[in-house]
Amino acid sequence: MMVGKEIEDIDITMPKDAYDTGKDTPTFRAYLTVVVRDSEGKLVKVHRQRSHSPTANFIGLMLPLTYFNVTGSSYTIKTTGGSTYNYEPAINPTAQCISYPNTADNYPSYIIMIQVGSGQQSNPYAAYSLAAPIANGSGTGQLVYGNPSVSSNITVSGSSAYFTISQTFNNNSGGTVTITEVGIITYLQFSQSYNNNPLNFGQVLVWYDVLNSSISVANGGSVTIYYTFTVNP
Amino acid sequence: MVTPDLVSDEDIAKLIIPDDLPDEQPTFKAYIEAKVYDKEGHLIQYHRQPMRSLTQYFLALMSIPIIGTYQGASVNQAPGILTNVLGLPSSISARYSADISWDWAIQLGSGTQAFSPTLTSLAAPISNGTGAGQLSYGSLSVSYAGSTIYVSIHVTNTTSNTISVTEIGLTGTIYIQYSNGSVSEYSFLLSYDTFSTAVSVPALGMTIFQITLSFTG
Repeated sequence: MMVGKEIEDIDITMPKDAYDTGKDTPTFRAYLTVVVRDSEGKLVKVHRQRSHSPTANFIGLMLPLTYFNVTGSSYTIKTTGGSTYNYEPAINPTAQCISYPNTADNYPSYIIMIQVGSGQQSNPYAAYSLAAPIANGSGTGQLVYGNPSVSSNITVSGSSAYFTISQTFNNNSGGTVTITEVGIITYLQFSQSYNNNPLNFGQVLVWYDVLNSSISVANGGSVTIYYTFTVNP
Repeated sequence: MVTPDLVSDEDIAKLIIPDDLPDEQPTFKAYIEAKVYDKEGHLIQYHRQPMRSLTQYFLALMSIPIIGTYQGASVNQAPGILTNVLGLPSSISARYSADISWDWAIQLGSGTQAFSPTLTSLAAPISNGTGAGQLSYGSLSVSYAGSTIYVSIHVTNTTSNTISVTEIGLTGTIYIQYSNGSVSEYSFLLSYDTFSTAVSVPALGMTIFQITLSFTG
């Protein structure tokens, strides 16, 4: 059988439903919800927007083994500090893949935080760090970072399903702090299972969003950020 | 103090999944394509439709690059999504160290069924082979461009009858590689769609099925 003579062979027209009409039902969406409270805990603002932007790091980590096996290529993952690693997982005890917990050793790959910042950058896909991260602390311009919370299960409702990641930040800085960008930072260790020898790779930005409008957190107030990942909403 | 105007889980749930935000670009688009060739290699049908139905297992798989495989820096156990949804072990024996990886495949079928995010298989999978009603599955191909991932497979109909493909699924297998060389496998259905019109693979013909997953980036 010969393959290769394609479109010119017959009169091919694109089905109407194949065009992006904006009416397709997306199979996946991500949302950002930002809940701001004042110093008395009173709700002062709720901001909602779609989250758009997995980073290049996420795409590389999501790729299946076939990509690496067939192409023989690696994928460059970059830390928030700019260090790079040529990620090339394989089913092989000598391959360096994301570590998995065992009861003796602790080489964690885990979500560190939702990080907030006061800058912005125009190409979220290429971002490997926030433009201007807001530091964890009580100094001027800083916020006290709580711990991230991840759903322990996926909630299924009809044909849709979702899980959330949330984190609360308190403003003890003495002044208003303004948030314009948000990202998810994951810590990665790549281990070779055969010798129990992990590579402490570091912090990796996997998701990044610029807020549609800035969020101001008054002194004494707090802000909770929810990332929601959902299918068939 | 927490204000009483926003306290319940129901309130939060309403906030974190808005009804719609119509003025914003979608986060994700996905398409399924099929190019059908006859026995002489001529393209005789081209079909393209939006993919609509990702399962909870896709969500769980994509959570791994985001939340990792540990609950925290000092919590030596896998996150609940991995154990509760994917059925992965909370942790493995201290005798071994382990790491994790995954692969995808495309499964075709000749049945239909209602979608549920908890679906685990196609209604009537078409098996790999040269017997009646079977298709010979070629090698999977995966590539990416920016934030778009392309997954394709070609199948050949070596039988003397046309085979109709009415459903397609993206499947995934997670591998936990142990230090002693053994591997545990966990397989899932990541997406499920039925074709708006059946894709007919003619006798001795060939079809390329491609799934495109595009994050807007």
